[in-house]
Amino acid sequence: MRRLGAVVGLLLAAQMTATAQDLDPGGTIKKLAARASKTIDVNLDQSMLRFASAFLDPKDPDQAQAKKIIANMKGIYVHSLEFDKSGEYTEGDLSALRDALKQPEWSRIVNVRSKRDGENVEIYFKKDGEKFEGLILLATEPTEFTFVDIAGPITPEDVMRLGGHFGIPKVNIDQDSPTGKGQDK
Amino acid sequence: MNRLEDELKLALRRVDPPEGFAERVLARVASKETPKASPAHWWLHAFGSVQLRWAAVCAMCVSLAVSGALYQRAADRRRGEAAKEQLMLALRITGSKLQIAEQSLKELDSSGRPER
Repeated sequence: MRRLGAVVGLLLAAQMTATAQDLDPGGTIKKLAARASKTIDVNLDQSMLRFASAFLDPKDPDQAQAKKIIANMKGIYVHSLEFDKSGEYTEGDLSALRDALKQPEWSRIVNVRSKRDGENVEIYFKKDGEKFEGLILLATEPTEFTFVDIAGPITPEDVMRLGGHFGIPKVNIDQDSPTGKGQDK
Repeated sequence: MNRLEDELKLALRRVDPPEGFAERVLARVASKETPKASPAHWWLHAFGSVQLRWAAVCAMCVSLAVSGALYQRAADRRRGEAAKEQLMLALRITGSKLQIAEQSLKELDSSGRPER
C-alpha cells in the first residue's frame, strides 16, 4: 500500500513539473543560460504560490492584485537571461521553443516584432475547449531572452486586469480571434 | 656545650598530654566528619525532591518546544518572504515584457494601421 502511495506521489510530482519541462524540449533554455552573463530563474509551483500568497500584503495594491491573479494558478516559471553581446542565441534556438508551442492547444495571440530595436514579444495562450489553461510569453532582444510560463487558468481578461500593476499596462487582446495577431514593425 | 645540651634536653623532654586530650581530639574529628553544606551545592539540595525534578524537566521541555516553534515560525516567515519576492519579481518581469508589446501595439495604432 505504501509502495502504491509512493508511485502515485511520484506520478503526481512528475505531472506537476511536466508543464515547465515539456515546453523546453532539448533543454534550449538551459543551453542559453550557460551562455548568459546574468540569469534570473523563478520557479514557483502551486504549493509555493500558495505559500507566497499568505505573505502578500492585501493593503498593497500590487500585492493585493497578485493575490487575486495567483489564486488558481498552478505555477509561474520565469527565465530571464542577459548576454554580454548580441548573437549569443540564434533563431534556431528559438524555433525549438516555438515548435513546442505549435501544438493545437496553443494559440499565439500577440506577436510583436520590432526591426528597429530588435525587441520581439510573442504571447501564447493554451486553451482546452473554452477554458484557458496557461500563458507563455517569449520576449527577445539582441542581448536579452525572457521566457515566462504561467500554468493555470489565466485568461486574456486577467492580463487586462493586470493593467496598472507591476508596471503592466492595460493590454487589449481581442479574445474572439486568438489565431495570432502578428505584426512586424 | 654541655649547657646547650642540657637546655635542649629540657626543652625536648617527654611530657604527657593533659587529662582528656585524646578524647577531645577524637570528639573534634568526629564533629568535622559531617561537612556543612557549601554555598555551591545549595541548589542540588533544592532538587532533592522528585516533584521539583519533574517540574524542572517539564519546564525545560516546554521552553524547548516554544523555542522550536518560534524558530520554525521565523524560518517559515523567511521562506515565505523570499517566495513573495520571487513572485513579485516574476510578475514585474512579465509586466515589463507586456509593456514592450503594448508600446509596440500603441505605436501601430497611432500610425493608423487598421489591425493591431
